[in-house]
Amino acid sequence: MTRGAMIRIGFLILALIMPFLPFVTDYILHIVILIFLYMILALGLNIVPGFNGLLDLGYVGFYGIGAYTSGLLTYHFGLSYWVIIPLAFINGAIWGILLGAPTLRLTGDYFAIVTFGFSELVVLFLTNEIWLTRGPLGLPGIDVVSIDLSLLGGPKWEFIGELPYYYLAIVMVLVTVFVMHRIQNSRLGRAWFAIRDDEVAAVSCGIKLLTYKVIAFAISAAFGAVGGSFFARWVTFLSPDMFKFWESFLVLCMIVLGGMGNIWGVMIGAAILVSLSEVLRELLPLLGLPVGVRFLAFGLIMVLMMRYRPAGMLPISAVAAQMRAGRTKRKRLKPVSRA
Amino acid sequence: MDIRRLSYNRRRRLFLQQLVNGLTIGGIYAMIAVGYTMIYGVIQLINFAHGEIYMLGAFFAITFIVSLGIPFFVALPLSMACCAICGVLLDIVAYRPLRRSPRLAALITAIGMSIFLQNLAMVIWGSRPKPFPQGALPAYFEKTAVSFGGVNLSWFHLFIYGMTFTMMVGLNLIIKKTRWGKAMRAVAQNKTMAALAGINVNRVISYTFVLAGALGGAAGIMTGAFYNKIEPTMGYIAGVKAFAAAVLGGIGSVPGAMLGGLVLGVAEAFGAGYLSSLYRDGISYGVMIIVIILIPAGLFGRVLKETKKSM
Repeated sequence: MTRGAMIRIGFLILALIMPFLPFVTDYILHIVILIFLYMILALGLNIVPGFNGLLDLGYVGFYGIGAYTSGLLTYHFGLSYWVIIPLAFINGAIWGILLGAPTLRLTGDYFAIVTFGFSELVVLFLTNEIWLTRGPLGLPGIDVVSIDLSLLGGPKWEFIGELPYYYLAIVMVLVTVFVMHRIQNSRLGRAWFAIRDDEVAAVSCGIKLLTYKVIAFAISAAFGAVGGSFFARWVTFLSPDMFKFWESFLVLCMIVLGGMGNIWGVMIGAAILVSLSEVLRELLPLLGLPVGVRFLAFGLIMVLMMRYRPAGMLPISAVAAQMRAGRTKRKRLKPVSRA
Repeated sequence: MDIRRLSYNRRRRLFLQQLVNGLTIGGIYAMIAVGYTMIYGVIQLINFAHGEIYMLGAFFAITFIVSLGIPFFVALPLSMACCAICGVLLDIVAYRPLRRSPRLAALITAIGMSIFLQNLAMVIWGSRPKPFPQGALPAYFEKTAVSFGGVNLSWFHLFIYGMTFTMMVGLNLIIKKTRWGKAMRAVAQNKTMAALAGINVNRVISYTFVLAGALGGAAGIMTGAFYNKIEPTMGYIAGVKAFAAAVLGGIGSVPGAMLGGLVLGVAEAFGAGYLSSLYRDGISYGVMIIVIILIPAGLFGRVLKETKKSM
């Protein structure tokens, strides 16, 4: 067994026993669940900037779509969470395809701004279509997740408190990591990396740029929606304010910090930034500053990372080489001595 | 309100009122949009932080007026100068080190700077909306200057139209007639060739940021004074709308950005008046997405070419 694998298994065991450690309170558990949620989101977003080299500023739109899909289906039809996960996945993917197919043929700049506009439209829709979403009043009282075995004559077990969600979140993170890992090493992943590294070379190898980019965007959107579906059933309350641009920015910041394209780096980025965010949330009111100011730090992190370590804390070599492209110092020519 | 039930006169008045409102806000969008388009022209970067320069303009103005007691017509050029300096600093600190990096890095930096400046303003001036000191504005601004078809135009409206018009004409003259304007156009066309012809590319880029910053700052001051509300988040929505205007006009084209701003402002006013005021902001995003998908070159622009390292 390699050292890396041992570290990962060590972390997994630590995560599994963590709720039973003596100093762990409900609050800490809550934050760790938040970290897991953002890991799922960051892994999902990572596909677009990390694997494909495109900037996606509208990720929170899909997160919101997933959350409201989950919330509304529970609210109106009482669907079980286990049915909702695939539905949210599909709904996210559909919106990803609808938005991606016409816009991914454009340049990266336009794509970034269109995704931004899309996520703002999602928030406006959630705020204004009161007949569907109750608008700014929010959607309260969404049922908790439950395992219902009554059809088989078994018991019905509801998820109450943080502990069951903790393990649910671990399972979801593991599934996400597994999927990302498999995609990364598949034909699909190799095609994406080829596109990221050099589009012209990729096309001349027979890779259909638009198809592969749309697939990437759809999968990314779908994972965003799955994250949202978990969020809805976990906090049991939704409001359009939760899905503003800040969230997209935060998730993007995690990827930038951890290392674009690196699955493990992105997860570490999520852990660091969620923790930092919570610390600042406690610290800032003490300094008499509004809580929103913590984004000052996040903005600074992004600028500094791009300046000094553009490929993140845990860079993967291909991204590092690309981000540094054109920045290598030119060899200084020796002055020719005149005889 | 069902518009069809209104009498002809009232419908006409409503129409004219929306047109006046649209042109006012459109002129302001145009002034911001010009900054986006000029900066895009010289360094091929969507300067997301441009909306924050606009916001800073408004805050500089009220700081000058309230804290230092400077009159409005002096505070206006002073704040514009401060915004121009901010623009140049932004370029030197954030964008210049990344000139040769891939686009993704520069875009992420731009987003980061935008968020950073917005929160910096929140730390300095507080997150609550602030009123514009109305006492600083000349008293006749409120009075009606022109009245036609039942719609009253105040002197303030005329002042904004006049400012917009003067700045746009001035900018066009700078770009078309001066040496620096010529240098800017050369850099926009081909940086390497411009450098070979002896143009100091970095300095030209700085001048572009000066122009863009001053115009954006002026727009911020006028919006703040007109709507009597200044807040750190105002740059974020105005910035995106102005970018939509720049895209509508064809990014890189200065007259396009001007026209795009006016068209977008009018479209927004009519959309809010006749369709749904709830989706006022949505109209800009909708227009932007539709334009980008259907006519990415905009009204006057050229089609963007994807280049790996264009900064």
